[in-house]
Amino acid sequence: MTNIKLTYQPNGIAGMKRNREHQIAGWLFAAPWVIGFFVLVLTPFWASLVLSFCRWDMIRPPQWVGFENYLRLADEIRSQTGFGLALRNTLYYSLLSVPLSVVFGIGLAIMLSWPVRGQALFRTIFFLPSMIPVVATCILWMWLFDPQSGWVNHAIGWLGLPPQNWLHQARSAVSAESAAVVGNAWSGQAPLALFGSKDALVMISLWTVGNLMVIYLAALHDVPQSLYEAAELDGAGRWRRFWRITLPQLTPVILFNLVTGLIRSVQTFTSIYVLSEGTGAPGESLLVIALHIFLAAFVDLDMGYASAMAWLLFCALMLCTWLLFRSSRHWVYYRFAN
Amino acid sequence: MVKFFRILVAGSLIVASCAAILLPQFQTKSNSAPPNRSEVVFWHFWGGEDRDVVDRVVERFNQSQSEYWVRAVAVPGNNLDAKLFLSVAGGNPPDLVNQDDPVLADWYGRGVLQTVGEFAGDQAESQLSEFLLPAARRLAQVDGRWVAVPNGLDVRALYYNASLLEERGLQPPATLAEFDQVIRALSPPNNPNAEMFAYLPDPRRILAWGYVFGGDFFDEKTNRVRLDSPEIIAALNWMQEFSRLYGPDAVARFRQSEQSLPGKTFPLLPALAESNVGRYAFLLDGQWRTRDIESFAAARKARGLAAPRFGVCPLPPPDGGRSRSGWVNGNFFVVPRGAKNVSGAWAFIRFWIGLESVDQAARTCAEGGWIPVSSAVIESKSFQDYLGQHPLMATFVELADSDQVFPYPQTRGAMFFKRTLETAAEEAVSHPERSSAQILHDAGLRIQSQLDRLQKIERAADAK
Repeated sequence: MTNIKLTYQPNGIAGMKRNREHQIAGWLFAAPWVIGFFVLVLTPFWASLVLSFCRWDMIRPPQWVGFENYLRLADEIRSQTGFGLALRNTLYYSLLSVPLSVVFGIGLAIMLSWPVRGQALFRTIFFLPSMIPVVATCILWMWLFDPQSGWVNHAIGWLGLPPQNWLHQARSAVSAESAAVVGNAWSGQAPLALFGSKDALVMISLWTVGNLMVIYLAALHDVPQSLYEAAELDGAGRWRRFWRITLPQLTPVILFNLVTGLIRSVQTFTSIYVLSEGTGAPGESLLVIALHIFLAAFVDLDMGYASAMAWLLFCALMLCTWLLFRSSRHWVYYRFAN
Repeated sequence: MVKFFRILVAGSLIVASCAAILLPQFQTKSNSAPPNRSEVVFWHFWGGEDRDVVDRVVERFNQSQSEYWVRAVAVPGNNLDAKLFLSVAGGNPPDLVNQDDPVLADWYGRGVLQTVGEFAGDQAESQLSEFLLPAARRLAQVDGRWVAVPNGLDVRALYYNASLLEERGLQPPATLAEFDQVIRALSPPNNPNAEMFAYLPDPRRILAWGYVFGGDFFDEKTNRVRLDSPEIIAALNWMQEFSRLYGPDAVARFRQSEQSLPGKTFPLLPALAESNVGRYAFLLDGQWRTRDIESFAAARKARGLAAPRFGVCPLPPPDGGRSRSGWVNGNFFVVPRGAKNVSGAWAFIRFWIGLESVDQAARTCAEGGWIPVSSAVIESKSFQDYLGQHPLMATFVELADSDQVFPYPQTRGAMFFKRTLETAAEEAVSHPERSSAQILHDAGLRIQSQLDRLQKIERAADAK
């Protein structure tokens, strides 16, 4: 029988010395990252908190203004301009894109787990869009959303819907205004122009759902077959097996994807910058918080205001994450939990 | 031995990381000035083909010099402001910067810039005052002080398909009423599937039409935003009228199609070889599009096909509006505070704009497709020869010489001004049922509030 030594145990003074040498070598190897983390991440992180209470244009020394920036944000939320508008747009995008990405991710993963010929090829095809750079994806979608020759309008034409303006329409499908649009279309007064730029953005976000699909696929393989066999013996059909076994078993992964998806959706910047040419157009409908922070910081050079927004966003995200974790005890099923 | 090896590997990793960071710095240094020449560090925003033009100008200057040597550094994108500010705050700014965004008042208000008097002497201001065109003078001054030196103008005018107008027995419009008639003759309403519109106003060009209608967006004397002046409301109303005529969705749909690949297309030109009509009969754009038209004609000729003729005319004014008017912007030089080689920077500015040699300046403008900032350069034989070869440029050059073309208001927060104004115009055009007066009034309040805030900050900083 082989005797395997599993732990490193220092042996007297020589051992302690060797341990210390190991520690020094470890820190030296980790030094580039540790220095980078402290200098490039942690310092700006705390500096931005201080700056959020200051006026700073990068040239004159920061000037302490107390809660002025935060009061301005509160005022803009009240009047639904600037930050308030950006918050509303971000909420719209996050509340649609995150749940839809979960639904599409699970749906695709389940379909791609079916034992059919060419399964590996299908998995590759559905994962490929996730590997395309964001800018290239946006240019591609700008063509697809072209109201006159784009494929998206052709596709919705088969469903009997009129051509939509997608990236040139501030209107959004889920809004009070859309009810009036549907009403007008129903009475024949106007064409059913329902979708706008935010809906287009949500569709683009679903294009990269392949990343989530891979995670769900791995989680599906992890579901014990014995559960399905027992359910089949009890006479459970496909739908019931999905609803009672598959979905509960996936809930830890769903929670993970909800949290990371929420953070990612709030931080979405590149695609919006490309689609709106850096302005949030049309009609500020794509002015999301990340873009608003960028414009305030690097175009208007209002670093204090931008920092205040970033901190408010950080706190809101922390709160949402905490709420998700807090609610998870009611809907997340951990197989090995005590 | 093992200890020595570990330390060696860790040390090598750290040295390699440092080298990876520092090596580019040394490589840049190898591009430094020759001996006995003082270096002028020149930041500019140009990229693509224009960057090559700038490099050639720099090369010509360096060859003509025995005293100075310019090192051009391309700093494209939105971050030029941040990089410049940090370099000034850090005490190591470039000697010269070229920019084209309406940021002059902001930069000057923050104390980043030297005035022309400071870096080139008071005489330089009077020299520039005589040398520059009125539009260039407006681009150079903030609060009545010379803080920049423009080196090229960008002027907008109305391109039109001359062959199409001739075929329909129409004339290029001289007034807005004539323009409206031509538009209705070429593009009658109630044709939602039209493949060609006579003209559709781009909401981002509210500034151009606002000036043509006789409006002023900002009162420099009182520091008040004047978006809701009757002339600007009338201009936006006129722009809204197209959405009422053809339907806002049809207009938006049509306009989005040519924006699928930004900056790559000039929709006045026919896309198909067998067609002589593009997506529009009229299009408001800058002088650089003359190159697209020339390339198009050359491509058609190479394939043995006849190309339609195109023309350019000033924006037609309404009754009581401004003739030969519109929006002008341009590229300008500024010298940051703390710049070390201001005399070298001034020598390069003089070379570029033509204070040393009008022929050199004419050559630069011809290569870049820019409009000279001085009538002396425009009248030079070199530039007149260039105009002879590129007749469509003539209208732009004439407009540049007009005293009725204006840049974006030189205010603090001008980028915010621009963004808010363009968004308001877009909202009005997308929603023709909404009151343009109310939209402009609301946008004006937002801009004024931002302006007041910036001025308050500036006053507080000055008081310190």
